[in-house]
Amino acid sequence: MIEQFTARAEAASAKVHAVADEAAAVHLVDSLRAEKTAAGLEVGVVRAAKGIAQTGTCIVVTDDEDVRLKTMLPEVSVILLDAADILPDLPSAAPFLRAEQTKGSPSYISFITGPSRTADIERVSAIGVHGPLEFHIMLIGGRP
Amino acid sequence: MSDSYKRDIKAALNDSFLRRTLDKFAVEYRAGRDRVFSEVDERGLIRRIADVKDAAAQHTEELYARFKEEAERRGAVVHRAKNAAEAREIIAAIAKENGVKSVVKSKSMTAEEIGLNAYLGAEGVEVNETDLGEWIVQLRRERPSHMVMPAIHLSRGQVADEFEKATGREQDHENVDKLVKTARAELRPKFHAADMGISGANFLIAETGAITIVTNEGNGRLVNTLPRIHVALAGLDKLVPTLDDALTALQVLPRNATGQRITSYVTFIDGATACAKSPSGRKILHIVLLDNGRTAIAKDPLFSQIYRCVRCGACANVCPVFRLVGGHRMGHVYVGAIGLVLTYLYHDRDAAKKLCQNCVGCGACKDVCSGGIDLPRLIQEIRARFAKEDGEPMMSRLARYAMRNRTVFHRLLKFMRFAQKPFSGRDGFVRHLPMALFGKHGFRTLPALAPKAFRELWPSLRRNVENPRFRIALFAGCAQDFALPHQLVAAMKVFRYFGVEVDFPMGQTCCGLPLVALGEKDAALDVARQNITAFAGKYDAIVTLCASCASHLRHGYPKAVGAEAEEFSARVMDFSSFVHDKLDVTEKDFARLGWKVAYHASCHLCRELGVKDAPRALISAAAHYTPTPEEETCCGFGGSWSVKFPEISAELMRKKLDNVCSADATHLALDCPGCTIQLRGGADQGKRAIKVVHVAEVLAAALESGEKDDNEQ
Ligand code: SF4
Ligand code: SF4
Repeated sequence: MIEQFTARAEAASAKVHAVADEAAAVHLVDSLRAEKTAAGLEVGVVRAAKGIAQTGTCIVVTDDEDVRLKTMLPEVSVILLDAADILPDLPSAAPFLRAEQTKGSPSYISFITGPSRTADIERVSAIGVHGPLEFHIMLIGGRP
Repeated sequence: MSDSYKRDIKAALNDSFLRRTLDKFAVEYRAGRDRVFSEVDERGLIRRIADVKDAAAQHTEELYARFKEEAERRGAVVHRAKNAAEAREIIAAIAKENGVKSVVKSKSMTAEEIGLNAYLGAEGVEVNETDLGEWIVQLRRERPSHMVMPAIHLSRGQVADEFEKATGREQDHENVDKLVKTARAELRPKFHAADMGISGANFLIAETGAITIVTNEGNGRLVNTLPRIHVALAGLDKLVPTLDDALTALQVLPRNATGQRITSYVTFIDGATACAKSPSGRKILHIVLLDNGRTAIAKDPLFSQIYRCVRCGACANVCPVFRLVGGHRMGHVYVGAIGLVLTYLYHDRDAAKKLCQNCVGCGACKDVCSGGIDLPRLIQEIRARFAKEDGEPMMSRLARYAMRNRTVFHRLLKFMRFAQKPFSGRDGFVRHLPMALFGKHGFRTLPALAPKAFRELWPSLRRNVENPRFRIALFAGCAQDFALPHQLVAAMKVFRYFGVEVDFPMGQTCCGLPLVALGEKDAALDVARQNITAFAGKYDAIVTLCASCASHLRHGYPKAVGAEAEEFSARVMDFSSFVHDKLDVTEKDFARLGWKVAYHASCHLCRELGVKDAPRALISAAAHYTPTPEEETCCGFGGSWSVKFPEISAELMRKKLDNVCSADATHLALDCPGCTIQLRGGADQGKRAIKVVHVAEVLAAALESGEKDDNEQ
């Protein structure tokens, strides 16, 4: 599933970084942030609750507006995902969604797959319309 | 029909940018779609969407009640609007109540349906479209020309011009990326300044009161996050019972819309989440459900299937006519095949009348539809209703009278052979009967009726076969019987060679498809019964060389006649399937011809009957099969009904022949007399060095050359 997730996410223009553990992820995020900030780009970092192998998707609980905006406004978006949280396909996400939507407070769940994109002008694929231009996934436990 | 509409169609056909874009798209879309669908069970998923939506159409009230309860329990306000006017008023009242001055909007076809922007504008509310394509067409004060790609009709240069006007700054006329960045920079402040966001919704999930929004650009998420108020507008047909249903449809929608496994963003919102900008600390969330004729249609036994539509746009993407004329001439608010139907049902019957005449009935839309909607059937029904209401009563009456009585009908056809003069009608009757062959269509030469019809040749052709492998009955169909009997003669050669005994029941008549197209249901039923009686004998199969007849005899009869047709219909086979599947013909049976044979897959054969491999295998066995691009695209004949625009038909044919000729084939083989008339006429007229033949003729020629070789030895 890790292989499929990685391949499908990259097919959707995401950059997947396989890291051994949390510490390695944090380390990598720090250096990425330093590099992008120096280039004048804003970086938003959030954590995914689940992943979906078949589509290369990260599922992020974004009930909190600040978390949500971190995945929308900055030019560079970084998502941390634990490899153990990868589900096989869309239908297998139903129980998770149901639990979130019946937890007693309203929820806003985001399935995010790659950077924002459009093909509205002459069907030319362009990255980064309203959301991020760059999209990184730190895949924790996806091997070093 | 109005001349201005005709002019409009001509202008579209002459718009070379539009044509090039849509051509390129048609080919690339197919490839992309095939790739992503190969990873899932396409038919199974479509079936499940159809089942869920069919059930939802019958339980709208329960689903609505559950949805409302769950959504309101979570802090949303759910409204129900009977019609467009009510929906506009509800939304305007929300704006007023909250002192809204500016709105950001993400894509919503439903908002187009109710004419929301103009209404809010008149109420003094500024509305900014934020989907890139929608923003472009808004700047140009146009309508979207496609449900998923609203600005597909525009070039980057036109977009750059528009952006220059909007921003007052010079724009790069070549670089699409830079234009996209202009839109980003220009729209960002509008998101921050807006008081209210208006979005559509792709699914309304009854079990949790959640709405689902599917987007790529990310504007939808900003629309429902940055302003303090969010209004979601959706048709009642978007209700589904469970999350699982939404996830099922989600496996098809993006694949069909853009060839993606999933879009960049899929958002699930259940209730009013925390919102810093709102005085209460919670989002002000209103969900407006629009009826506008939907619940009435849910009760219609035929048209209720439109509930299955998930607005993926695929029916436009594969439509050969959409590709020629673009969305502005193929729909009113919604475009493509579903656009034709919805225009008729909801919006503008006069517009629908013009639009429906664009359809050539090729079935490509039905083949890809996310909900398996029988779109050509619905369009056919609409056309038949128009024809009945005010269409061609004279022609209908004549057809009804002539065709109910086989003897009169056949005498009429024989008389036409002598008359040989243009029967200048402009409707389906004329096109479908062999009289059609006299019609004036400058873009192809039409074959005259043959000196002898097949039924007259029959006595000299019939043979008894000793110990036959099969006993079959031949169904000729009018066009082959009276205009192209040599195709049947070729088939007889093949049957004889492979030990098949053939009978030709003289009581047979027209299959009745033209009558269906005219809305003459009773007469169609009559001819169907005549044929069923004529073929009551003990035959192993009823074989026809006409793909249109085959599909109507097989699928149309049981629907129209019911159980008494089942036994008959089950035995109907098209020529290629019979020879390939039953006779197990292989290349060892032939002396292979030197011909290089391209193949045209007739709409009725490849889609209605799902026959794809048999004819190609036969051609490969008897000659050199030469694959060409877009073999399954319609030739423009308009299999089951007339085309009111000869220009469209001619363009489809030209494209078909261009594709075939690009591969330097000597012959073009096919399985349908209608396509033969269209393409042979077109090849003649265009002086193209390609012979158009039935698959049976290829096989007969290969057997003949083999016989010759035997003789020489
Ligand atoms: S049947 Fe063919 S021509 Fe008619 S709407 Fe469907 S795809 Fe278009
Ligand atoms: S009718 Fe079918 S193909 Fe057309 S938009 Fe609706 S779901 Fe898609």
